[in-house]
Amino acid sequence: MIENSFNRRNFLKVLGWGGATAALSGCGNTSVEDGKEFVTSYVETADYIIPSIGTYFNSTCAQCDAGCGIMGRVREGRVLKLEGNPKASINNGKMCGLGQAGVQAHYNPDRIREPLLRNGDRGEAITWEKALGLINEKVGGVNAENIAFLTGVVSGHDKALLKNYLDALGSGHHYVYEAVAPSVIRAANKKAYGVEMPRLRLDKAKVIVSFGADFLGAWVSPVHFSQQYARFRKPDSGERGVLVQVESKMTLTGANADRWLAIRPGTEGILALGLINALAAAGLSVPGDVAAAVGGYTSERVSKDTGVSAEHIGKLAALLKERSPSLIIAGSAAEGYAHGSQNAAAIALLNQILGNVGQTVEAPSSTPFPQMAPTTGNRLALQSLNDNMAQDKVKVLFSYGTNPVFTAPATMKLKENLKKVPFKVVFAHYMDETAVEADLVLPLNSAMEDWATVIPEYVAEGAQLNIRQPLMEKLYPGTLGLGDILLGLLKYRRPDEYNGFEDFYSYLRNAMVTNKDALGGASKDGDTFWEAALSHGGVKMVGEPVNLSGNVSATTLVVPAPFVEDATYPLHLIPAVSASMRDGRNANEPWLQESPDPLTTIVWDSWVEMHPKTAAKLGIVEGDIVEVASKSGAMKAQAYVFTGIHPDVISVPLGYGHDAMGRYAKGVGANAFKILDPVFDKETGELAMHETRVKVTKAGKRVIIVKDEGPAGGNQMGRKIAVRLTSNKVNLSEEV
Amino acid sequence: MNYFLRLSVLLVGLVVSAGSYAANTVQPLTTADDLGPKVEQPFEFPHNRHAGNADKGGMEINCMYCHTYARRSMVAGIPPVQKCIGCHQSIESVRETPRIKKLFEYWEAKKAIPWKKVHDLPEFVRFNHERHIQRFVFAQNKPVQEACGYCHGDVKTMTVARRQKPLSMGWCVSCHQKDHPVDATSTKTTHGPNDCWQCHK
Ligand code: SF4
Repeated sequence: MIENSFNRRNFLKVLGWGGATAALSGCGNTSVEDGKEFVTSYVETADYIIPSIGTYFNSTCAQCDAGCGIMGRVREGRVLKLEGNPKASINNGKMCGLGQAGVQAHYNPDRIREPLLRNGDRGEAITWEKALGLINEKVGGVNAENIAFLTGVVSGHDKALLKNYLDALGSGHHYVYEAVAPSVIRAANKKAYGVEMPRLRLDKAKVIVSFGADFLGAWVSPVHFSQQYARFRKPDSGERGVLVQVESKMTLTGANADRWLAIRPGTEGILALGLINALAAAGLSVPGDVAAAVGGYTSERVSKDTGVSAEHIGKLAALLKERSPSLIIAGSAAEGYAHGSQNAAAIALLNQILGNVGQTVEAPSSTPFPQMAPTTGNRLALQSLNDNMAQDKVKVLFSYGTNPVFTAPATMKLKENLKKVPFKVVFAHYMDETAVEADLVLPLNSAMEDWATVIPEYVAEGAQLNIRQPLMEKLYPGTLGLGDILLGLLKYRRPDEYNGFEDFYSYLRNAMVTNKDALGGASKDGDTFWEAALSHGGVKMVGEPVNLSGNVSATTLVVPAPFVEDATYPLHLIPAVSASMRDGRNANEPWLQESPDPLTTIVWDSWVEMHPKTAAKLGIVEGDIVEVASKSGAMKAQAYVFTGIHPDVISVPLGYGHDAMGRYAKGVGANAFKILDPVFDKETGELAMHETRVKVTKAGKRVIIVKDEGPAGGNQMGRKIAVRLTSNKVNLSEEV
Repeated sequence: MNYFLRLSVLLVGLVVSAGSYAANTVQPLTTADDLGPKVEQPFEFPHNRHAGNADKGGMEINCMYCHTYARRSMVAGIPPVQKCIGCHQSIESVRETPRIKKLFEYWEAKKAIPWKKVHDLPEFVRFNHERHIQRFVFAQNKPVQEACGYCHGDVKTMTVARRQKPLSMGWCVSCHQKDHPVDATSTKTTHGPNDCWQCHK
């Protein structure tokens, strides 16, 4: 708030009465501000550009990796508001709050505006010629083996150029890292279905059992799933679908479920096998070896292990048997353990037994240009880069689209290992935790100024290539897009091939137009094809459907017994991935800090979510500052007492607690990534995000939590706003 | 900021009551006492030469030929340089005059001409050109120069435009309170909206 110390009385005093009358009459007339501002004027303009009236341009959202199609409303050369692109098959004209905040990434006051070269503690502004020249010199001075490129998910022409650059350097070290991604699920899916990410047809399912997949909030492609979910709830057949969510900490999806089952952390696989056993007992045909393998998972045992009552297990099995097809989804809650792969395999097996494969689990299409297909990331990649850095094997490091210094657990000692790398180049929007460690920082265009093509991992239908195009002129002349930077670097290495392209735009246009036949433009001339692609925000491609394999086998299926209690660290920590904050890369957009968490309504801070029973046992009330300590570190945050969590579990949202990045992110909350224990999934080697055990102690202070929820919490002050209704189709208390 | 805002709202009320005696008298197109400041422009655009009467050496060009957005948008806008050049490239007689030379300099450099706003309402006021033009020019069939002149004065006699009217809230309201025929032929009358939120959105 801007304090106005110059109040009305002073105003009149200063002027004296003569002055005051002059000023007063002045207020009425000359608040008109003639001759101060410029009129928006153009040199040349298209007929459809009318000042004060918005024009919409299609592009692709860059706020998360779902790759929704967006439309930017542009007025007087400035982008004002984003909407979903109605032609985009992923999101059909809708978008999420995180996507909406994209304009704040663009207009953000903390963006880096020119390349910065380290000079002691400071970054010195240099020109792009000098920056690219320096990179070329550095990569030329080391063995190609010692060059590493760390990126987030890459696809499209950026990926193709990156590969060409790495080839030109003679190095294959490309690490693709995603801090929160369903990487264990992908591996398990590959085994069970033959593809990493099958298409999930929520809209065709009559029952969905989701093991902690927050598909309405933050999982894979939430806007797409939300639309399918709406059709699942209100299908043409009129038979409302039933959603059962099994997880230890309630997610937004859990809050929407007909039945939310709080499960003991890590026992998701046991429940899946128990359900198969119950289904077999109820007469569903189950292959002999599977039946034998799950025979021991009786209702009583499963109920004892998982904490889910035998009654609910029975009801769930009955529901699944009766309503087909169903869909079972394994989410981050199931995969986050040392036995995450086994949990995911058990859940996939349940899908297969129920005959959902081919029904609600569909084959995706392959893309006709594999060199542009998305390379998804995992946490193992960062682990191996880290090991290489520790052994002094990395001499030049590039980092793009990730912030590993923020997202790596403290036990990795990533920051220390980074110091061993003599030359670190970080592509960044903000001076985030990784950029401040860099030797050279390359400022990136915002997504609203950039050219790129994107193939999302999860494509709703067919195969497609999304286009990201500038919605307005660059705000700062000193920023560049990844494509332009790579092209600039390639010109040093392969001048014959790349000197002909003035910029990435001309490269991209040429590449697209040359391949227009495969991009659905065979009948159009080059210009028409390109214009149409830009106007639609992407092109459809002809992809081959990939075959799903239906291997049903229980031979390798072993799910470990539930955890034994740890006396020192009695609680399980669930690092929560929230719809707005995700892995924290967008934390410097104030709308996201300001929009309340959907379940707790907390804003602008981290919190420690715990069950009332747990809180009572520890003598904690809402607002107590508590210390959460694991074997690997400790953090402090305010306690929030909430029934939507298992009593053995506490949860802290990820993405908060930056100590760099910008004015809206820095110092807000605490970073839960840091205290994660180094436990890994046994099959894939992925960091097991839910394996950290903690103890919680009061730190002494108590605060008033800043949240939207009223003092009466979620009880609606007795006004019965959202009363529980039983529908005529589903009698919840009877069926689930 | 807030204080000034509140103060001005209050005072505008005063001005309205003081000025209401004028509400029902015909407003002359130009009232010298409300002249705005002279606004320095990149070069002097002669409105009189373009829009003035033929007997005074004007071309009688319709205001909306250049201010083409006025009937379609909230703002009247300034024509793109392209539009000036569209005519001037074939008007050899004035090609070498200082102002036209300047115009061509902007065009060749592909630079927009940084015209200053002559009529600039504060940010908390939303004035819609389209509504006014549609009502007066298209529904009531008023001559364009008269309709524009209600607020802009007799532009066809000016070189660089200069504000002629107070453009204060009281002044707007004085017209919005009057009855106007709904269209050219009707005897039914209506008046402009007087709800606060019509202009203060
Ligand atoms: S889901 Fe991701 S890609 Fe889609 S609108 Fe939201 S942030 Fe953007």
